[in-house]
Amino acid sequence: MQKNEILENLKNAVVEGDDGKAREGARQALEANIDPLEAMQMGLTKGTDVVGGRFERGESYLPELIMAGEAFKAAMEILNPEIKRQQKDVADVGTVVITTVKGDLHSIGKNIVATVLETNGFNVVDVGVDQGALQIIEAAEKANADAIGLSALMSTTMPGQKEVIDALVELNLRDKYRVVVGGGPVTQEWADEIGADGYGRDAVAAVGLLTKLLNP
Amino acid sequence: MIDFLDVCERAETGPLMTERDFELKVFIPKLRDVVKEYGIQYDSETPVPADDAAADSVYEASVDFLARVGVYCQDTNRVIQFTEHEIRDAVGSAPGECLTGEGKDASVFRVRQPDDERPARCHVNWGTVHSSQEMAIDIMAANVAHPEAQAISISSVTNTVRGMRVKAGSPLEMYAGIRAVRVARDACRRAGRPGLPLMNLVPAAAAAVTTIGASAAQFGARPTDGWIIGIISENKIDYGALNKVAYLLNWGANIGSQGAPSLGGYCGGAPGTAIVNTAYFLMGLVAMKANYHLCFPIHFQHGCCSTRDVLWLVSTSSQAGSRNVPIPVIWLGYMAAGVNTKMYFYEAAAYLLAATTSGADAVKMPTPAKGVKVDASTPMETRFGIEMVKAASRLNRQQANDLVIKLLEKYESQIPNAPEGDRYQDCYAVETGKPGESYLRLYDEVKADLNAIGIPFD
Repeated sequence: MQKNEILENLKNAVVEGDDGKAREGARQALEANIDPLEAMQMGLTKGTDVVGGRFERGESYLPELIMAGEAFKAAMEILNPEIKRQQKDVADVGTVVITTVKGDLHSIGKNIVATVLETNGFNVVDVGVDQGALQIIEAAEKANADAIGLSALMSTTMPGQKEVIDALVELNLRDKYRVVVGGGPVTQEWADEIGADGYGRDAVAAVGLLTKLLNP
Repeated sequence: MIDFLDVCERAETGPLMTERDFELKVFIPKLRDVVKEYGIQYDSETPVPADDAAADSVYEASVDFLARVGVYCQDTNRVIQFTEHEIRDAVGSAPGECLTGEGKDASVFRVRQPDDERPARCHVNWGTVHSSQEMAIDIMAANVAHPEAQAISISSVTNTVRGMRVKAGSPLEMYAGIRAVRVARDACRRAGRPGLPLMNLVPAAAAAVTTIGASAAQFGARPTDGWIIGIISENKIDYGALNKVAYLLNWGANIGSQGAPSLGGYCGGAPGTAIVNTAYFLMGLVAMKANYHLCFPIHFQHGCCSTRDVLWLVSTSSQAGSRNVPIPVIWLGYMAAGVNTKMYFYEAAAYLLAATTSGADAVKMPTPAKGVKVDASTPMETRFGIEMVKAASRLNRQQANDLVIKLLEKYESQIPNAPEGDRYQDCYAVETGKPGESYLRLYDEVKADLNAIGIPFD
């Protein structure tokens, strides 16, 4: 099989969200002595670009994004050991701890952002919903995170975002993390008021914001 | 028929799985299967379809979907499962009406049918936030003063208590919840409507203890009001919701299940979201013992209910529900644009046409500016909503479809950057509660525009 065909198969496996095809494509890439980083960047990542673009245009939705992400991960399980063996560096765009704050059980918006971040190369640590300030900071410390993403879907849970920032200040950790906020009732004015580093109105905006903040 | 204690038992004994597995291995694939097997398709050229057989297919798909997927209990990590027979049994036993309010404001909240000539029940006001208690009362009193108003969603009043921001689950939420009931009842009294049912109790109450605490008679709440219990998106529930059901069943109060499936989230596109929205009516009946339902399917990206695909699913699931599921439903729409903009009225007209002609039992007057801006509502939107409901009841689905297409042409492209509009104090005289000249002028222009495209106002 030609190199271009293998890379195209990897791209299509991600676009179709087919983890079986993605694994098969990764194996074929290694057998054909294709550079594993090239297989990732010119195959898998091209697929996530297609799915991400469709999502941004409203032509595909969260299930397609998740399945694309799962296919990407499946292929990387095969490519990663070879990347490490060859001591090649995968570009590190940053680690983000993401959560919905205390008192709030809404997960969909947060999950969409997490999935879009993952498909754009971020290492995402999703600590779930209904998380208090100290739990979130502990998770960020443990993950050695670069940024914290805080979602709130109710006006009465927005104070939970402020509590995380206040706690970071009190613990002298504020400068260690970029903190971004989002969610239905959240606005840029609220982000400014509580001292967040940024506000993302949707998942695509959140990726742009974090890319800019972490890779200036 | 299974009772609520059966539901509680299944929450402790159903299949154990992680929430992630429920989402990825159960909800998403089974919903996709059902969409495919029942051939549910979105037609962007027909935002208000008039196909009874297609609507019935969505209903059948929703029964099958709920039986295949069940309801995930977040506190026990177990799936509460129902058989198709149990779901159909709950549908067959549903009374199809709900007694609300007291005295001269008492009424029966009944189901309607697609193309029904009876106007949908007018449900006024919004659960939004204001900058002062006085303003909240003024707006609520003006809204319920309309004789057509048969129920109210009460305001959250303000987002602070003695200067402290209200926080979910905290004692301040309890103060705010009790205040909301007292203030709303006072507003209804001032308007001469003391018996009007408050149907969204308790607004902004995240904790079950707030709902239960604010329900005490001394604060003005009654069992003939309506108590909202939210389904957690998608297809999930927790002990907090189950605790509310247990309390309200013991009390004998009206229980309103609330569902807000997200188009673009786990439901995927419009067909899957229509099925899930319809399944939530069933979930209300079978899992939450609800005797009414409130829904607002919403677009994941734009945070509003006026996009073409959301209008299609509102119409489709309203028809599926009203033809097959005898539970009265309140349809709530969040509009992208705000107060004192033409776009708001075009969106609201489209939403009310789609819902009303598709058999919506009650419509809440559409919420301006996605419901997130403080003070972003006025009595003018209520006046418009009531006039639109009357006009829509003179039309059938086919006529509504033609009008909705014309309205979408006016606003659809502006949705991503919709104008957030004015606040109450920007376009009303706060002292007198009267609208300003500019808003009256805009209102007249919009009515003329809508008349010109064929909306039959009085």
